Amino acid sequence: MTMAAKKKILLIDDDKDFLFATKLILEKGGYEVFMAEDGKTGVEMWKSVSPDLAIIDMMMETWGEGFSVLNKIRATDTGKDTPLFMLSAVDLQGPYQSFEPPENFPKVNKVLHKPVKADDLLRFIAHELGA
Amino acid sequence: MNWVHSDAMKNEKPLILIIDDEESLRDGCRQALEKSGYSVIATGEGVEGIKIARENKPEIAFVDLKMPGISGMEIIDVLSKEIPDIILIMITGYATILSAVEAIQKGAYDYLPKPFSPDQLRSVARRGLDHRALKMETRRLREEKEQMEKIFITFVSHEMRSPLVVIRQYIESLKAIAGDRFDKDVTEIIERCAIRIQGLEELIEHWLDISRIEAGTFVQKKETINLSHILTRIEEEMAPVCKAKGISLEINVPDKLLDIIGDEESLVRVFTNIIGNATKYTPQGGKITISAQREDYFIIVSIADTGSGIPHDKLPFIFEPFFRVKGKEERHEGSGLGLTFCKKIMESHGGEISVTSTEGEGTTFLLKIPALLSSTGVSQTSS
Repeated sequence: MTMAAKKKILLIDDDKDFLFATKLILEKGGYEVFMAEDGKTGVEMWKSVSPDLAIIDMMMETWGEGFSVLNKIRATDTGKDTPLFMLSAVDLQGPYQSFEPPENFPKVNKVLHKPVKADDLLRFIAHELGA
Repeated sequence: MNWVHSDAMKNEKPLILIIDDEESLRDGCRQALEKSGYSVIATGEGVEGIKIARENKPEIAFVDLKMPGISGMEIIDVLSKEIPDIILIMITGYATILSAVEAIQKGAYDYLPKPFSPDQLRSVARRGLDHRALKMETRRLREEKEQMEKIFITFVSHEMRSPLVVIRQYIESLKAIAGDRFDKDVTEIIERCAIRIQGLEELIEHWLDISRIEAGTFVQKKETINLSHILTRIEEEMAPVCKAKGISLEINVPDKLLDIIGDEESLVRVFTNIIGNATKYTPQGGKITISAQREDYFIIVSIADTGSGIPHDKLPFIFEPFFRVKGKEERHEGSGLGLTFCKKIMESHGGEISVTSTEGEGTTFLLKIPALLSSTGVSQTSS
């Protein structure tokens, strides 16, 4: 047991309940959790908090907002190498199936499908943060 | 504002093109139509007429049937294909039923026998314009309706599923933060809730799939494939399920099966649906046999189980949405839309699904899919 400061995780999702439910799991896993309900707040919080990992919903307000948030975070100094997860509740047959990331699309460390199993979520994060 | 308005009105004058080699008739028509507020362009030459039509996109074209050079019938043929929504009216000095029918088949709206009065001319022009307006309005409404359906499906898929996703996420967090403190029966209640919610999600999913098939927005990648490839996937996927239930799975496919045109993913779902059903109704020690063979221009796949069978009087309804063979007390899980989905997918492949069953002995589903006949090796193809 080390007494190192808790690792910080930023959650960006426009569903309050999804944020809260996921926060409970992450806190149980021993992380400090920051939440943002929209992309703009998410990017600002990213800059002020400097989290160790962020989880971004793919489909907020508008389709694509999640991707624009991802782009903005990756463009910051601290965002270059930080692990970023994308969340999707998009079904395979939906109208978004055709979305294909362009060549120079920023790196996504993991795509998670909602709902996320608590064990899986904590395991994927531990894998990235080497906890 | 009035200026703009009147200007716009002027531009909205319907444009009528007259193609007739008889100069006096052209002039007569022009005068009669211009008096009624139409813009008129007239030409005595067919090729010139087509050129004018391409450039000016008139609402109506009157075309003389008999002209030197290109015939009126050819002009009608070209214009009906090239100018969207154009109303074509054939003018003819020797109106026969045959030529009128031919013109209408080629896309003409009506015909006007010579000689005709200015009133007759204006009346047919007016009717033609009304017809055109109606046709365009109908198309606009149909497109709007299709668009609404697409938006609705997308909306439903997001709005109905989000709360369910959140509830399942809460259940996950409940287990994560307090799972170890729950009694066994509390854990069971939570598990059952999760299962029922997942069932509801699947139901929405299946319903959406069926709506998408009906709206024509279900994504299918139709390509040349061989059923033996699909059945290999099915074996990989379903063998463990069958094994877990103590049911043997046997797949007999001839070495050389003709290709088909199909969407691999949706066909795989058809098979997993039917085989999944079979595993639910087949007791331990039972058997599911899949075989495929060519029959004329089709590939027939049979999926037979040795299960409880379906009562004769219920067989005709099993592809109906939400129809359940079993009574409420012995309800099996499932959305009630699986076989409806299978039927729609088979139909979208130009195929069929059918079923035979004997109570106490088993059920056999037959899938019929058009085979891709190669030009070689098939002696004759009568169509």
